Amino acid sequence: MKQVLHIFRKDVRHFWREGAVSIVLMVAFAWNEVRQWNPSEAYVFGFNRFLTTGLPVILLMLSWWLVVARVVQGESLVGDRQFWITRPYEWKKLLAAKVLFVLLFVNLPLLIAHVFLLARAGFMPAAYFLGLLWMQVPVLLFLLLPVAALATVTATVVQMLLALLAIALYMIGIAALSSEIPSADFSSGTEDLQGAVLIGTCLAVLMWQYHQRRTLRSRWVLGGAAVVVLFMIVVTPYRKLVAREYPQFDASQGRPLRLELRPIETPVTHEDFYDGNDVEIQIPLTVSGVANESIVRVNGVMSVIESPAGPRWDTGWQSNGVTLFPDQNRTEITLNLKRKIYDRIKMLPVRIRLSLALTVFLDKNQQKFVVPRGEFVMPGVGRCAVRSEYTNLIHCRSALHQPASLLVTTDISETTCPATQFDDALAAHGTMAHDWNSNADSGPEFSSVQSFDLNPTVDDRYGDSGRSARGICRGTPLILSRPEFLHRGRIELEFNGLRLLDYRRGIGQLGPIVIRGR
Amino acid sequence: MTQAISQTTTSREAFDVIRTENLTKKFGRVHALAGLNLNVAEGAVYALVGPNGAGKTTAIKILMNIFGPTHGRAQVLGMESTQIAGGAFTSIGYVSENQQLPEWMRVGGLLAYLRPFYPSWDRDLEKELVKQFDLPLDRKLRHLSRGMRMKAALASALAYHPKLIVLDEPFTGLDPLVRDELIEGLLDRAEESTIFVSSHDLAEIESFASHVGYLEDGRLRLSEELGVLVERFREVEVTLNAPTTPRSKVPDSWMHVSTSAAVVRFVESRFDRERTSGDVRNLFGEVRDITYTPMSLRSIFLAMAKAGRNAA
Repeated sequence: MKQVLHIFRKDVRHFWREGAVSIVLMVAFAWNEVRQWNPSEAYVFGFNRFLTTGLPVILLMLSWWLVVARVVQGESLVGDRQFWITRPYEWKKLLAAKVLFVLLFVNLPLLIAHVFLLARAGFMPAAYFLGLLWMQVPVLLFLLLPVAALATVTATVVQMLLALLAIALYMIGIAALSSEIPSADFSSGTEDLQGAVLIGTCLAVLMWQYHQRRTLRSRWVLGGAAVVVLFMIVVTPYRKLVAREYPQFDASQGRPLRLELRPIETPVTHEDFYDGNDVEIQIPLTVSGVANESIVRVNGVMSVIESPAGPRWDTGWQSNGVTLFPDQNRTEITLNLKRKIYDRIKMLPVRIRLSLALTVFLDKNQQKFVVPRGEFVMPGVGRCAVRSEYTNLIHCRSALHQPASLLVTTDISETTCPATQFDDALAAHGTMAHDWNSNADSGPEFSSVQSFDLNPTVDDRYGDSGRSARGICRGTPLILSRPEFLHRGRIELEFNGLRLLDYRRGIGQLGPIVIRGR
Repeated sequence: MTQAISQTTTSREAFDVIRTENLTKKFGRVHALAGLNLNVAEGAVYALVGPNGAGKTTAIKILMNIFGPTHGRAQVLGMESTQIAGGAFTSIGYVSENQQLPEWMRVGGLLAYLRPFYPSWDRDLEKELVKQFDLPLDRKLRHLSRGMRMKAALASALAYHPKLIVLDEPFTGLDPLVRDELIEGLLDRAEESTIFVSSHDLAEIESFASHVGYLEDGRLRLSEELGVLVERFREVEVTLNAPTTPRSKVPDSWMHVSTSAAVVRFVESRFDRERTSGDVRNLFGEVRDITYTPMSLRSIFLAMAKAGRNAA
């Protein structure tokens, strides 16, 4: 321990500037986070939004990376001329000193910032202590460890920047490759395994370099891990994985809903041409049979389009996000088609086979909740208040994470918001609006206070509500629930004789277009 | 600075501080070391000499576990070189000509930083070395001259009484005054340490080494006590009674035999006055005169290098 502290003190003397910059940026980040809670900040968009929310985080992360790189390279592990390698350094103690430095100049300020933010948002930090510590783990593993591993195989910050550039190009290549592999963007596939390979490799290289200083081999190991990940992306049997994750609903479970093709309703007199490579096709469907206390989410869609005289087009699995509630009777499934395929078959009658990957949730234990005045505590959510700057909604701040699953339902006819001159009359009784915050699979959070809006809406593209919603105000009755995962499955649909041109979605249009008079 | 070190610990009881067996190092297809067998006895001041690229630095880096050997093994202070790390360096002082020092540190800061690493660090000795080397404690290493940096490095490697001092080309590029100061500093430690130094500066080595090894193309051509080496090499000039012709067959120990009229010159690598004289007479009969001239280390190695054979 004596040696650890001795090396640490030396690093503090040498790298206090880098540490100070990082701490100053941390203070700026915390200050900016608090500023973001101001209602007026919620409606800043575009580049200004980036300046106020994205840039502080990016600068903070860059400063962390600089701290890690500088402190690791303070006793460079690359080369054979460093004075320290023939001095009585114990590698474990050297590594421990570096870890201590990072903990004290990166993690501790972050922890303090998190505590400050919680306290400032009205939460008791002590009640979230373990969660706060746990939040440091992804920062260490995903943000700092890879940079530390990279710093062990590079001699200078410039070398490391070049390596980071190479990694950025690799990531762009991976993203481009994934977009070309059917179903890869929907199925999580081997993502967890890929992450484990990369994190495990970084950890192994870090330890190995400190223990053995075999730089060339370590570089090969890192490069090898990148190749392995690439290989995994290419050879992953995405369809098989989806089929296993979403088996056909069996008879015992029954189908969670019924879907039928709905006739096209909205006549449009021209086709809205554009130059994109993809064409969106929207299949309008009638929905029925969603059980009470159930919610069905369409996670993904795969379509096979066959024309008797032309080619066969298989879209592979594409991500979707449509949520179907029991009170909902219609929806659309959107398909992306390559333009050159579309142009060849758009006038032909085609057969479309749709596979829908569905997740069924159980929506029990609903609680009634009437929105109080001012700031209030919403059970299991956090501290909330009504905001009425542009629309009437509830703005909430929760500690550490957003609720994993929170469904807010309201009958928009029961709104207590006063009408404005722009509002229509109230919707009919029983017109339900929903807002489902579902963050069960969301990644690690950067801030200890999560801000989000609850703004139930009605999908009124078809005029079901007949009226616009006025939103939520003090006294508006809500139904709160926490839908729970029930099961996953897959259903197949087949439609014959469709002409794709009739289902093409036009730019700026909300519904399908119909070409008449051609 | 011409003081020579007397051989103090070459007795059979002394153990080998450094021992290598068939030590081989390849970088790709290049053999930097090709089966090096080397023993350095405790207390010796061993100079490993040889031309640039001979493998001296590679050998030292293997001894210090900076490189791993491709084949063979090395032991340092009774420990396998591949195991040398951490605490083992409390007994070893290593200084290299191209060592990267923490240049942001001041000289005093460097010494203060290294002090706690060594249980045997001697503050009095540190002060003595600082004074002896005239080190500016408040100056940053990056602002020091090359010679001053070497002296700072050496001071930081001597202040804890290392059992073994390893120096890799310590005198390269230094002016004579600084060299003398460094050598003097080393010699003051010679009583308590074994010193292993690589150099291609033979004149400097000759002034203080007790043993010498000659490395060429990764192979050790000779390794022996300096005094013995110098004693067994002589430049011999034989004056005959009448002009003669070159002899096709001469003793193996003769190198660079040249004949000019009645004068024959050669380098004797196993000099013994009676034996050499007898060999001359056996080959040429009665001669008018024989002179034996002692050779400098530099002349010996030049002769060996030219002969291209192992004189050992």
